[in-house]
Amino acid sequence: MDPGVIKSYLPLYRDALLLTLRIGWQGVLLAFIIGFLCVTAIRFKVPVVRVIVKGYIELFRNTPLLVQLFFLYFALPKIGIRLSPEFCGSLGLGLLGGAYMAETFRSGLDNIPVIQQESAESLGMNRLQAFRYVILPQAVASSVPGFLANTIFLLKETSVFSTISLMDLMFTAKDLIGMYAKTIECLTLLVVFYLIMLLPVSILGSFVERRLRHAEYGD
Amino acid sequence: MKNTLTGKIRTAAAGLGIAGLLLAGQISAVSVSADAGAAFRTLDEIKESGTVNIGVFSDKSPFGYVDEYGEYQGYDVYFANRIGEDLGVEINYVSTEAANRIEYLQTGKVDIILANFTVTEERAEEVDFALPYMNVALGVVSPEDAVIESLDDIGPDDQVIVISGTTAETYLVKNNPEIKLQKYDAYAEAKTAFENGNGVAWANDNTEVIAFSIENEGYVVGIPSLGSQDTIAPAVTKGNESLLNWLNDEIRSLGEEEFFHRDYEETLLDTYGKDYEDTLVVEGGAAPEAAA
Repeated sequence: MDPGVIKSYLPLYRDALLLTLRIGWQGVLLAFIIGFLCVTAIRFKVPVVRVIVKGYIELFRNTPLLVQLFFLYFALPKIGIRLSPEFCGSLGLGLLGGAYMAETFRSGLDNIPVIQQESAESLGMNRLQAFRYVILPQAVASSVPGFLANTIFLLKETSVFSTISLMDLMFTAKDLIGMYAKTIECLTLLVVFYLIMLLPVSILGSFVERRLRHAEYGD
Repeated sequence: MKNTLTGKIRTAAAGLGIAGLLLAGQISAVSVSADAGAAFRTLDEIKESGTVNIGVFSDKSPFGYVDEYGEYQGYDVYFANRIGEDLGVEINYVSTEAANRIEYLQTGKVDIILANFTVTEERAEEVDFALPYMNVALGVVSPEDAVIESLDDIGPDDQVIVISGTTAETYLVKNNPEIKLQKYDAYAEAKTAFENGNGVAWANDNTEVIAFSIENEGYVVGIPSLGSQDTIAPAVTKGNESLLNWLNDEIRSLGEEEFFHRDYEETLLDTYGKDYEDTLVVEGGAAPEAAA
């Protein structure tokens, strides 16, 4: 281990961390939006859309992110659709994550007994009100651990971005090793930087979980 | 709730601590194995085991690639096959990428790297190179409607495609840090990206870019030779003297039968024609006039 080498690599790792975080969070946000829209379509049995959504979920849950990125970045230009590497990265993460988020959210919804919806409606709420005030808060709360796991999973999936020339943490480390062969330093920094990125997510996630699942945990 | 949050932070701190311990352990483990120097197999150990592990490219036609029957082919592989024959052992080909060639040797995953490995000072600190068997310089290929003939033609916002871990990358990072590089970690991806027009040019070994411009319509090698003339040689793990000496003897004795000219004619002639034969081939370890 050479402290001088580590110091000289730090700015590169910092840039990579920022890039990974930027694309990662865009992807996660997109995943939440897509996931929520998908679940709404399934829940309210929107005709046609519901079938498309199910097809989308199966397609993206059963193909690796690497393959999806290859398709977005290398295949689409052949038919005239040209996307920047960063956009491909966010979009790929969002589409993959959307499928996972939708499934997590759906299982959260399925956890709430039907009788609650019926009871709420018998108290005079309409279908939407019952969903908004009774079902949704409980479903979100019980989905939080899944959301958190998905978020961490998606942030870690950024490690395949080297394929589309994005200098994320993994590629930065591999690239430096390829050029200067300071393997131990590069890999140590890599582990440390992934922890810097993901430990706060993990801590913050648990905090949010406690807050949202107040009803189960109490004070 | 306060308790649980502090608890969580404590868990996280413990996580960091464990990671720290692991890293510390890793470092001491590395220094131990460096002392023992057991990261490679000697010539006798390879012969005894009956198999030699040789790292080659699987996507760099015509030097090292996998053909339509799933067989390794190319200039490097032709030489590798001969090494296996003369050692009297089976060959286990290990597919490598440019950036992990040094790693594979240092961790003993392969005995020899024959993946079009350019000899450089930096690399020679990490691995031991045998005698060269090929010449190489850097080259830059670009589309014929926007030919890059000098590095000055590259605009401030233009991106040049390079492959991570190649001499082209190191050269440009060192000598032209102002040029924006778009890095890929495999040949196949860099090629596709270049064909898709993701960069104004592609910098790589000139052998590779010349082959690309010959095989693909519409591309010109605007800069055929950049930087210094280098050589390509087999590499072994640092300190593996028995294997290194054997390889050097092998290359010298193959020179007597003009082996690498035959290799060129079998594997490279279709791509480069007769013109490049004397420029590219290094016979018997060193052509006398190139020895300086």
